[in-house]
Amino acid sequence: MHTGGKIVASALLSLLTATSAFASDSTVTVVVPDSIDNLDPCRTARNDVGRIIKQNVVETLTQLNPADSSVMPRLATKWEQMDDSTWRFHLREKVKFHDGSPFNAEAIKKAVARTLNPSMDCTVRQKFFGGIELQVTAVDDHTIDIKANPKQPILPTILSTLAISAPSTPYDKATNEPIGTGPFKLKEWKPGQSVDLEATNDYWGEKPAFTNAHYVFRAETAVQAAMVQKGEADLAPYISVQDATDPATDISYPNTETAQVALTLEHAPLNDIRVRKALNLGIDRSAFIGTIFSPDVKAASQIVLPFINGYNPDLKPWPYDPEQAKALLAEAKADGVPVDKEIILFGRPGFLPNQSDVLQALAQMWQQIGLNVRVQMIEKAQFIELVSRPHEGDRPVAMFFNLHDNSTGDAANSLYFKYSSTGGQSQGQDAELDKLIEQGMQATGEGRTKLFRQAFARVTNDLIEDVILFHFVGYARVNPRILYKPTPFTNNEVHIPDIKPAN
Amino acid sequence: MWRFLSARMAHSLLSLAGLFILVFFLARLTGDPSALYLPIDATEEMRREFAEQRGFNDPLYVQFLNFLASAVHLDFGESLRQSRPAMTMVLEAFPVTLTLAAISMAIALALAILIGTLGASRPGGIFDRVANLLALLGASTPNFWIAIVGILVFAVWFGVLPTSGMGGPVYWILPVAVLVLRPLGLIAQVVRGSMISALSSGYVKTARAKGVKTRSILFVHTLRNAMLPVITVAGDQAAGIINGAVIVETVFGFPGVGKLLIDSITYRDFAVLQAAVLVSAIAILIMNILIDVAYGLLDPRIRFN
Repeated sequence: MHTGGKIVASALLSLLTATSAFASDSTVTVVVPDSIDNLDPCRTARNDVGRIIKQNVVETLTQLNPADSSVMPRLATKWEQMDDSTWRFHLREKVKFHDGSPFNAEAIKKAVARTLNPSMDCTVRQKFFGGIELQVTAVDDHTIDIKANPKQPILPTILSTLAISAPSTPYDKATNEPIGTGPFKLKEWKPGQSVDLEATNDYWGEKPAFTNAHYVFRAETAVQAAMVQKGEADLAPYISVQDATDPATDISYPNTETAQVALTLEHAPLNDIRVRKALNLGIDRSAFIGTIFSPDVKAASQIVLPFINGYNPDLKPWPYDPEQAKALLAEAKADGVPVDKEIILFGRPGFLPNQSDVLQALAQMWQQIGLNVRVQMIEKAQFIELVSRPHEGDRPVAMFFNLHDNSTGDAANSLYFKYSSTGGQSQGQDAELDKLIEQGMQATGEGRTKLFRQAFARVTNDLIEDVILFHFVGYARVNPRILYKPTPFTNNEVHIPDIKPAN
Repeated sequence: MWRFLSARMAHSLLSLAGLFILVFFLARLTGDPSALYLPIDATEEMRREFAEQRGFNDPLYVQFLNFLASAVHLDFGESLRQSRPAMTMVLEAFPVTLTLAAISMAIALALAILIGTLGASRPGGIFDRVANLLALLGASTPNFWIAIVGILVFAVWFGVLPTSGMGGPVYWILPVAVLVLRPLGLIAQVVRGSMISALSSGYVKTARAKGVKTRSILFVHTLRNAMLPVITVAGDQAAGIINGAVIVETVFGFPGVGKLLIDSITYRDFAVLQAAVLVSAIAILIMNILIDVAYGLLDPRIRFN
């Protein structure tokens, strides 16, 4: 109990010594919702980790332009495709890791091997490199060839997710001491309380305006907003619409999330396309906007945002037409489809601030066209098990209210994951759609875009596998002391160098 | 007394073991954590790999035996979320909750005794009615709401207190105030009721007949006799303060064991859950023994046997 005793003593001591949380001139204080539980560079695909260290402490070879999701240089200055599966990257020179070791081809080899090590829980691998092998070969100290198996036509885009950590980072052990090449290095992490970053002296790029970043964790967005209002924090990038009440400080920004209702397609009545069409026609999307949701939320026609490669601009959100919906249901009923069978609409607690209002409103609209819909909340893990493949056991006739986040700049992940026959959260099976997705994932340039657009058209016009609802927005409260413009990627990355003092 | 204490401790150890086995198996009834730890787009193979590496695929009894084998070396496993020893995390968080609970309970008890006693001295009087109403409000208003409103009023509007965070004494005012309300309301009611019945006892009438001052009848003669049920309820409230602490710790950003416990349940972080339950249970068992001892000290008629 020696450690315990020391901890008690230090807690009591901290009671007696007041520490100020108020911002100083050189420090920018950011308040975020999740108290992070690790700082491993290979877990930057998790929003809570990425927000703090991605591009601040650890950087990537490439990065996406928030304006149009095009690929831009970062640690790689340029790249070219050598053959079908191999890309050559030219590395930035005179770059050093925070521990003094040089940034070179060897470092990339180690960082890639670590991230793809199956015995590590690297979310970057789990999210973006499932079933992909990368072979890194040094051409010279600052030129590498990366060969992907199977071939990855948009390898430079995917590499914007893989943070390069220093060679000294343990290969098969998680670390909470990220060492990278970024403008900041980790100064201190107090679990459950705060993370502090400080600027390094020898960053290769532009020096950040604020030399210290202080992150604090508050679960309640009302508290996050109050902290900025009171000057205890400079930036609260993730407040809820209910707390974004001050037009002078609160900015709305499109985040990369789209709300979707997934459907179990194996049973009646949801296996009937007329019923699924009725589900889409029976929702008055505009009734949600400006009421339950903010006026900036947009009705959606597909699961990715317009700036994502593959988005199909010809598809329009479903109109609200309850009469046609009723007619379709009557027609299905006449053919013996049990349209009055109970359908459970599943949600999970704490998923979205006003989720129960949304679910009730959806259920009510569907009841009005004659469907028998009941709302039920289930635990997150249970929800994931029900909605994900393999569909084990006999699932209830159900719908799942879900959000999908695509910040990769490309529709491949979304299409495969949500609609391909083997995708983790897809519900249907369609050979033609599989072919479009498969071919699209192997194609580049305009061909890729065209195939993905066709895939979305197939989903929306021919198959109607789900109910797509809205593209969401996020809200940031920005203290007038600073200048900061949120981007669609703010959900996953808050670049401290982008924050400038207002005067 | 010593015999009583050692018997009581043996009893406690038995309950602890039972509780522990229960928590181990009940936690695992919630299912495999790999659904929660891996990104939603991870492949089925990755999920299997994850569960395999951490032994979640082993039969439950094997998992339990493995756990016991480590636990005898005081190794309670590693947190899935933080990749740190679970017990270290709990011991870091526990003092925060303990301090919150100790300060809140001390204040709640002192105020409740004062308010309850004064109310009982003139039941139905104005003070009694107002105190009753406030006590009921305190006991029935959700902590969560009070915490948020407290921040808006005292931190944002009046600007006299910080919104949240853990720092010097001023940072503790709002969280403690929120935590005090519920036990204060409940204990004040119990003090009042117990005092009213004690005040109608024969010894009080005798004291009055002898001309003893009201203040001394209330606070010296009666209060001591009326304290037994109060201590029982106060002990119960102190154990239950961990519920309130969850909310206070979440809203105010205090890294305590209440929040740790809830997070470890939500994320199926079994090792942390087990360590947190163990430490909390030991604290509560120690408190219960102290309460038993306090009974004997307050009422010499109670014998430790």
